[in-house]
Parts: sequence; C-alpha cells; structure tokens
Amino acid sequence: MSAPEIHSLSATPITSHSFNGDRSQVAVSLNSNDVTIYSRQGKDWNVTETLSEHDKLITSIDWAPNSNRIVTASQDRNAYVWQETPDPQTGKLVWKPTLVLLRINRAATFVRWSPNEDKFAVATGARAIAVCSYDSENNWWVSRHLKKPIRSTVLSLDWHPNNVLLAAGSADMKARVFSAYIKDVDSRPPPSVWGERLPFNTVCGEYGSPSGGWVHAVGFSPSGDVLAFASHDSTISIVYPSGPVIYTIKLNSLPYVTLSWTSEDSLIAAGHDCQPIVFSGSAGGWHLVGTLDDTSAAKQSGGTRGFGVAGSQVGRLNSAAFHTFRQADSRGTSSPTSAAGSGSTDTELLTVHQNTITSIRPFSGTADRVAQVSTTGVDGRLVIWDVNNVTELTGKMGALRLH
Amino acid sequence: MSHTVDIPQALKDSLRNFRFARRNAGHAAMVVRVNKQKLVMEEVDTFDDISPEDLADELPENSPRYVLLSYELAHPDGRKSFPLVLINWAPTSSEIGLLTLHASAFLDFQNTADVSKVIEVRDGAEGLTKQVIDSKLKVL
Repeated sequence: MSAPEIHSLSATPITSHSFNGDRSQVAVSLNSNDVTIYSRQGKDWNVTETLSEHDKLITSIDWAPNSNRIVTASQDRNAYVWQETPDPQTGKLVWKPTLVLLRINRAATFVRWSPNEDKFAVATGARAIAVCSYDSENNWWVSRHLKKPIRSTVLSLDWHPNNVLLAAGSADMKARVFSAYIKDVDSRPPPSVWGERLPFNTVCGEYGSPSGGWVHAVGFSPSGDVLAFASHDSTISIVYPSGPVIYTIKLNSLPYVTLSWTSEDSLIAAGHDCQPIVFSGSAGGWHLVGTLDDTSAAKQSGGTRGFGVAGSQVGRLNSAAFHTFRQADSRGTSSPTSAAGSGSTDTELLTVHQNTITSIRPFSGTADRVAQVSTTGVDGRLVIWDVNNVTELTGKMGALRLH
Repeated sequence: MSHTVDIPQALKDSLRNFRFARRNAGHAAMVVRVNKQKLVMEEVDTFDDISPEDLADELPENSPRYVLLSYELAHPDGRKSFPLVLINWAPTSSEIGLLTLHASAFLDFQNTADVSKVIEVRDGAEGLTKQVIDSKLKVL
C-alpha cells in the first residue's frame, strides 16, 4: 500500500506516453511534433533524447517491449516505426525512423502494437483503421484498411491476446470488435468467444451504451473473453459476448477517456475527473469499488505533494519561499498568495493530477495481475500508482461538487 | 520505344508455348513479376486448371504481377472458346517504386505477349472473381 510516485515532466500537456520493456525509459509526446524520451536516473526522470521527424502533433506513441521498436502516429497522416541501430560513423545507438505509408487522408489518432509485435493498428480520422505489417519481400511496411462499418473517427484501439482480433472505439458511438487477420503474418487463430474462421474486416460484435456518446476507450480483459469500453455519456460498459450480456455502470461524474484492465475481474478507468477509479465484477455483475487517489490525506505545507522528488535537491533551491514562487509560476498567477500552503488551494485540485488524465497503462506485474499503473495527463504529470491502494469514494472528492 | 525492364528470350519462349498449348478444359494461368534489382521480368508460376478465386489466393496481396490467363469462356450459344487475357494485378498497397516500374513496363509486356484483352485488378482478391472476368470479357 504505497503512495503514488509523482513526476512533473513538463508544463505542457502530455498527449501520450509509453514505457519500454524494463521501465527504465519512457517515450512521451509533449503536445508537439517530437517524441521526448526520458530516462530514469535515480529518482528523477531526465530528458535523454528527442526524436524529430513528424510534421504535426504526435497523437499517440507505443513502445514494443520485446522488439524494442517505437511506433508514433501523428496528425500529419503518417506513422513512423523507430528502431535503435548503431550509427555508422560514431557507433552509438541512435533511433532511426522508417516511414509507414498509411494511405489515409485524415489525422492518425491512436496506435498500438499487436501482442506479438509483428503488426500494429492505427486508428484514424479517415473513418478507417490501418493495420500495418512488414513485407520482407519489398522491405517496407504495408497497410490494409478496416473500413466497413465505421462511420466516424476511430478514437481508441485494443488488441486481443490472440494477435488477430482488434477492438475499436469510435466517434460514431459504437465499440466494435474486428478481425485484423493478415494472411502471411498470422496463423489461423483458434476459435474464441468472438467467433471462428475470421477473414480480414469481419465485425465480430458492435456495441453501444444506452444514451450513446463517443466511445473514448476500449479494452480486452487479460484473457480476451470480455470487452470493456468507456463512453462519453459517463458510463462504463462491460460486454460478455457469450451471453451476450452487457453491464453498464452509470456514473454521476465526468466521462472517462482511458481505461486499463488490472486482472480478469477488475479494471481502472480515468478521465476528466482527474483520478483513477477502480471497478470490479464478474459475469454476474459489475460495480464501482473506489479510487486510487487518497484525497483525504492532509495537504502538506508548501504543497510538496506536487513535486514527487523531495529532499533530492539541497541548499537554496529547496526553501519554502522559493517553492511558493515556483508554484505560482507553474500555475500562472502573477503573485503568490500571502498564506503559505492553505491559500494556494484556491486553484489547486485535491487530486494528484491537476487536469484530465489522458492515458493509463499497466506499469508492473503480469497482464492478469497488474501491480502498478502509470497515468499521464494534461497537467504534464506522470504518476505511478499502486493498484491495491484503493480508497472509498467519499463526498469530498477533489474536482467534483456533488449535491 | 524505351524499355525500362528487359524481357529475356527464355520468357518470350515461355509466353509462346503458353499461348499455343492445346487446352481441353479449365483455365490456365502464367504469373510474371518484375525483378526491381535486376530490372528484368521473370516467370514466377504456371497453373493448369485453376479457378479465378484460387488464382486470387495464390497471387500476393501487396505486390504487382502480370498474369497471362487462358480463360475457358462458355458462350450462350454453347460454344467454348479459350481467349487469352492479360491481367494487370496491381494492388494499391504495393510498394510505390515497384508499382511505378510495373506500370511503365506493362505496355511493353503486352506487346511482347501479343494480347489485346486486358483486365485491371487494383483492389486485390475481391476484384478477381469469375463474375468480374465474364463481365469484362463480354465488353471487350
């Protein structure tokens, strides 16, 4: 039951983040055209590299843990696959990009490697999903489009463990499960609860929530037999296709935009409420359990909770006075409030994240028993949470005003 | 006329043999590809008695090919003829350089094989079925 590890990576929003296999580095998009790679040095995360190739904002990054390749998708309608190769002149390892022609006429919004890391799927605003695989005969990445029956931008994707099925959440208010079977890359998958004999672009299921709303996040459970999706009408729906049964949890909080399964019977969702919420259940029913953000903890003076590295810097930079000015600067106020600590809670939220959480990913543990998750958000913070540190949601919640 | 890709004599002989081979039944096909490194055309496969759908399965999804097809056409009045059809198999997901090279050498190949009927298949396996070929041949 440990406290969350908080790292303020930047003052700009973090659009997307992805850790490498051993969690020593993280690739981050700071709302810009470049990928920034931070490496862990002691307790700090420091910038070690910047990868520049895209012409427009990078919307999504995914780092393949086993093959150590990074794929980035951007609003410039391209995707690049980055590989670490030794530089011919210096011999150092540099990241070399390979362009992938997606053949889309709108921005790419989301990208994920498949479990076997031999293909990746790119969600686009062109009402299609580009599934890309490597063609060794011609030495380039080939993309095939999943088009029917998508009617609007695809917002998020998740791969099934069998490397063939793909879940997609779209702005046409539907969550769908597609077959992304590529002939020369995949072997025939065994029949699953989603169907059998699935050629490319078969729709295995199409689901929506009761009041509709953009589907911001989708996720398969660790076994792949259950699908969860978060929708803009502030609901989380869990689908059991063998029933078919859909459990919809309606919440009176703000919508969730990202979710991650932590075991076969629990998942964590986060979004505009700025805190990760845990849900749990089984084929018999699902319910909300609590939050990972213990907002009832006493705020320390000077708000040192906002800077996770305490005591690593010594001397004049660590004084409380310098800290008040730093707080005011990062919050954009012209002059710091006179009372140290309590006065500054006017604009500061009680939750750890000060703005929407846009991305939640498993950090440590196995797929079916995740121990820690990492979140990044619009406030430029990267926080690593212990999954078991769940507290009940009480009336006194940071960003909410419940009646 | 300038040639971007060479056609070796062996291939020309193969094309002649394919054209004059006596056929009793079924469709036969010969698949030719462009070798980008050597800038030469080479024969890849020959199929005897294959259906259009099986042929579509055999052809690569992401690479252009020239396919010489001896098609068994059943006329409404009961006759059977075996016209020679050239299929330009050029899926859009192919590598662009190879696709352009393939397109530039296509006319040359057509003249060498001496075929007048051409079918373009640009969208992969869906575009090569019995119905498509029958309807195209009625027009040609």
